[in-house]
Amino acid sequence: MATLRDIKRKIGSIQSTQTITRTMKMVSASKLRRAQEELEKITSYATKLEEMTDRIIAWLPKESHPLLSEREEIKRVLVVAIASDRGLCGGFNMNVSLSVENFIARNKSQYERIGVYVFGRKIREYLQRRKLDIVREWTDVKKVDDEVVLTITDEITRLYQEGEFDRVYLAYNHFVTPVKQTLIFDEFIPIKSSSQQEGLDYLYEPNRESIINLLIPKYIKTRLYYAILDSQTAEHAARMAAMENATNNCGEMVSTLTLAYNKRRQESITREMMDIVGGAEALRGE
Amino acid sequence: MATLSLEIITPERVMVKEEVDMVEAKGELGEFGILPGHIKFLTTLDIGEVRYIKGDKIRRIATSGGIGEVVDDRVIFLLETAEFSEEIDIERAKRAKERAESALKEIPMDTEEYRIYELALLRAISRISVASKGA
Repeated sequence: MATLRDIKRKIGSIQSTQTITRTMKMVSASKLRRAQEELEKITSYATKLEEMTDRIIAWLPKESHPLLSEREEIKRVLVVAIASDRGLCGGFNMNVSLSVENFIARNKSQYERIGVYVFGRKIREYLQRRKLDIVREWTDVKKVDDEVVLTITDEITRLYQEGEFDRVYLAYNHFVTPVKQTLIFDEFIPIKSSSQQEGLDYLYEPNRESIINLLIPKYIKTRLYYAILDSQTAEHAARMAAMENATNNCGEMVSTLTLAYNKRRQESITREMMDIVGGAEALRGE
Repeated sequence: MATLSLEIITPERVMVKEEVDMVEAKGELGEFGILPGHIKFLTTLDIGEVRYIKGDKIRRIATSGGIGEVVDDRVIFLLETAEFSEEIDIERAKRAKERAESALKEIPMDTEEYRIYELALLRAISRISVASKGA
């Protein structure tokens, strides 16, 4: 049975936990704001580039660039999974990890090999524990800059072009609003177009090849960069929500425990009073 | 009179989103102009100047290149970096030019580094030229 002192100690410990979660929530909130600004900056560029690429590749013969043509036989597929290095952000890492794990479980019989290209320590740990095929891992990336994205782009493109993999998927958390993140699991390479050919073909200047060679790598790079920024923004939002919940739960526990503490305290006072009264009665009786 | 709807976007910001009368830019094959009714067109954009005319106003932008698309009087330029002429720090551009020039004298040609400085020099020159023409 918990003594008065035990309860008091517990309340103290929960209160200090609450201070931590509250601080983390505020830190995440300010990081979220900054991340959102960064994301907004590039959003219009990324979406325009995506729309443009979509329109253009509808006109391109599949064999005009190796990243456009679907292979006849899909034997090996690669999943690029983007999550985070740190936990305490609710289901954020779990969502991506589970989707990858389920994807592998579903398609294991169909393909020769399903590799995972991992970005983020938490998801690496998860997949490693399950002994899944990790092709490459990125952890503790302090700043996602051009160089990092370019390296990733080159690696993935090479893996595809050299025939190591026949199809590439992209999985990450998409930031919708600060309270809503959704999981994206898309086909990434080969690039497919959802547009129809409309009107006339383009006039290409200087020629079609140089446009393709400029556009396709740019598209892949921007798509990856955008996905990483998107995921980071979603991470801060998820952490903020998780810490908000934790802070509320701490508050609830503190009030429950305070109630128990007060009851217990009152009980012991009553008991002491009864003892005194009983003692006094006994003395008077003599 | 028909107009063009022009959008100039960089990874940093949406620079221009408006109706204009004419757009001029520099592609790999040289300068070109776009007027309403232009054919469907895709082009690479080189380091240099992008300018557009609206009424009697001309605005100039210095860019480090990108890609341009024209479809049904909609012009979209996706540029790597870009600055309006009035935003350019001309002193900085001049310093960059000098730096690149002196580096180019020392580095052997046909190296990766030479190419990098050459591009830096071209960018600096284009920024200086755009800035000196004014808004």
